[in-house]
Amino acid sequence: MEKTKSPEESRKLLDKITFDLTRSIVKRDELTHFWYFILIMFAGVGLWGWGIQIRDGLGVTGMRDYVSWGMYIANFVFFVAISLIGFLISSSLHLLKIKWSHPISRVAEQVAIAGVALAGIIIVNDMGRPDRFLNVFLHGRFASPIIWDVTVVTTYLTISVLLYYIPLIPDLALIRDRGGDDIPKWKMQVYKILALGWNGNAEQYKLVYHAMRVLMILIIPVGLSIHTVTSWLFAATLRSGWDTTIFGPYFVAGAFVAGAAAVVILMYAYRVRYKLGEYFENLHFDYMGKLLVFVCLVYLYFNINEFWVPAYKMKTAEGIHLRNLFVGSFAPMFWWTQMTGLIIPIFLMLFKFFRKPLPLAIISVFILIASWLKRYIIVIPTLEHPFLPVQNVPEHFKHYSPTSIEIMITIFSFAAALLIITVLAKMFPVITIWEYAEEKGVNKEILSEPKK
Amino acid sequence: MKIKLLFAALFFLAQQGMAQEWLVPDDQKNVQNPSEYNLDNVKKGKEIYLRDCKSCHGDPGKNNGLPLVPPPPDFTSDIMQANTDGELFYKITHGRGGMPQFETTISEDDRWRLVNYIRNFNPENEPVLVEEPPKKAKILASVNEEARQVEVFAEYQDKDSNYVVLAETPISIGAKKAFGTLPIGQVLTNEEGRAEYHIPESLIGDEQGMVTLVIDLGEGFITDDVVLDAAKVGQPKPTPKLIQKDVLWSTNENIQVWLLLSYLAAVLGAWGTIGYVVFQIFKISRAGKKQ
Ligand code: HEC
Repeated sequence: MEKTKSPEESRKLLDKITFDLTRSIVKRDELTHFWYFILIMFAGVGLWGWGIQIRDGLGVTGMRDYVSWGMYIANFVFFVAISLIGFLISSSLHLLKIKWSHPISRVAEQVAIAGVALAGIIIVNDMGRPDRFLNVFLHGRFASPIIWDVTVVTTYLTISVLLYYIPLIPDLALIRDRGGDDIPKWKMQVYKILALGWNGNAEQYKLVYHAMRVLMILIIPVGLSIHTVTSWLFAATLRSGWDTTIFGPYFVAGAFVAGAAAVVILMYAYRVRYKLGEYFENLHFDYMGKLLVFVCLVYLYFNINEFWVPAYKMKTAEGIHLRNLFVGSFAPMFWWTQMTGLIIPIFLMLFKFFRKPLPLAIISVFILIASWLKRYIIVIPTLEHPFLPVQNVPEHFKHYSPTSIEIMITIFSFAAALLIITVLAKMFPVITIWEYAEEKGVNKEILSEPKK
Repeated sequence: MKIKLLFAALFFLAQQGMAQEWLVPDDQKNVQNPSEYNLDNVKKGKEIYLRDCKSCHGDPGKNNGLPLVPPPPDFTSDIMQANTDGELFYKITHGRGGMPQFETTISEDDRWRLVNYIRNFNPENEPVLVEEPPKKAKILASVNEEARQVEVFAEYQDKDSNYVVLAETPISIGAKKAFGTLPIGQVLTNEEGRAEYHIPESLIGDEQGMVTLVIDLGEGFITDDVVLDAAKVGQPKPTPKLIQKDVLWSTNENIQVWLLLSYLAAVLGAWGTIGYVVFQIFKISRAGKKQ
């Protein structure tokens, strides 16, 4: 934290910070409209595909008796994965008192909310009879990882929303009090309501800090469970490729890789689009790059364990599965994900140049794509090799390839996730203003001063 | 020259289009059949044929084998009989394409007996096993639940179309199962054409111990198999309820208490804390009104 500034300086600084960080809320140009148009169009097309799927049933997908989990579940795991970054950055790093990560917290929370919300929706996408969704709760088996997963996804979503909202309250009051005249009236109205009559007294700050702290601690076990339980959906079976004990930490490590990449991409987008170069500084990208290297190395370590140990033994079924990944039909995808999702990025990010904003954002795009493919590789090849021989079935039962409906619905999920993030960024500042200002030496009293 | 070419082309086409000739190594061709060509060996060969070969090669003389490519030849056909004993033995032993190998499943002696059986259909041989034309027959059967026994009475139609008792003839008893009839035993009829068969104690029926018995006269007679009404003559089928074992992945009724408690405790803990945080939000709102 910097030295407390004089009231005069503080006011000037706070005005500047507020001005910069509300730019995303105020800004509304051609590109904004175009971006909304694109997202809504893709989401709409996907919803239309979903309509067809609900009308005609899951037969419109490529899923059949053997491969009964396809792109949807791979996509589900991906979204759960990216959502986990919220817990790493806005809770773990916070609790460890790592200062540089503070401005990134809200971005991470955006990713978390969008990711876990979509994860929930994708599960419903994967249901042949979504109207029976409630049966999961009414008739669920408490001993089933699926019930645990549903439980933990909803819990994590709730906590993420709270963890997004509570630090936002002082910001809302701040904009309510000193926001520029260019902020639309209805938004101001929303801020007024959501600010809950915040006036910045000591008791309120105490409550905010307390609630945040409770949430940050609570989110650690919940965050760890969400992806561990997701991994158990696979690991609790006997199937080759899934029947392993390291799936929990393997998934968690992989999730950090995917999520950190998503956060870097968002940071870069905000930095460029909302001219936040002074807030998402080179330093932040540098640290995020280092964090990425670290989580990638952990993930690489788990990957080596995950493949090397069974490959050493090549047990019958496991051997078929591994050969299929290493040299068989999934080999191109497998090596692509390992190279562009882990090995090359690790190597590149060791150099300072590649931890600069643009190169890091580009690397992150590759990592994110590889992360998605990686989930595909975890789900589908195993299902294509059941233990019983595949016989007397039509040819298209033997191999899975997603149909256009599945691809449409998957694109819907991406569009919807981006839409959630966009709306959040357009509604609320992407960095916690009061926290940031305080760290720059602005006094709390100044924060709650109404506009002159 | 031209003719040579034509032959070459024909030969080539023949190789491509028709079944390729099945070559047997010279030293195997002329191996002598060590088992004697007599009724015993031919009968044994027939038994094995019915068990292991008929499904593809069909009934001898009827050319009703499976439509495979190349087709499994009829045992009476020239293709079959043109083989030397050694060739037959080699082909049965090693198989090729659609013809499975029997090296590992049929003993060497029995493979030679199969060769003997094939030779029974060779026009140059005196057949040792002559199949009489099948006779019409009738079976009456009933099951006695208390005595656990099946009572059978059989008649057949003689040359003058009169039904007379069928004496000293084996009758097969089977039990109907999901995938066909399970043979459980045989009895010989007595002088009066009657037989009593004691159902073994160990026979397993359905969940209630009900068994549907099938009575059959076997080869050489034309009858409808007699299928008796299900009778309670078997042991009840054990139906292990896997899901009710003491396993972690059981149903809600059998869930392990500690698992349920852990789940509920975790859920209550998390949501209780969430509730607490939501309460803090109310407190924030209230604290705002104070000043
Ligand atoms: C799964 C089906 C199948 C079964 C069972 C089977 N065969 Fe064959 N068999 C074939 C087919 C198909 C051929 C033709 C193979 C070829 O010419 O490539 C054949 C060919 C043969 C031949 C060689 C005929 C020739 O071309 O010279 C002999 C001998 C023979 N089978 C004997 C037997 C005997 C004995 C058994 C039982 C122990 C038996 N087969 C069981 C399918 C079967």
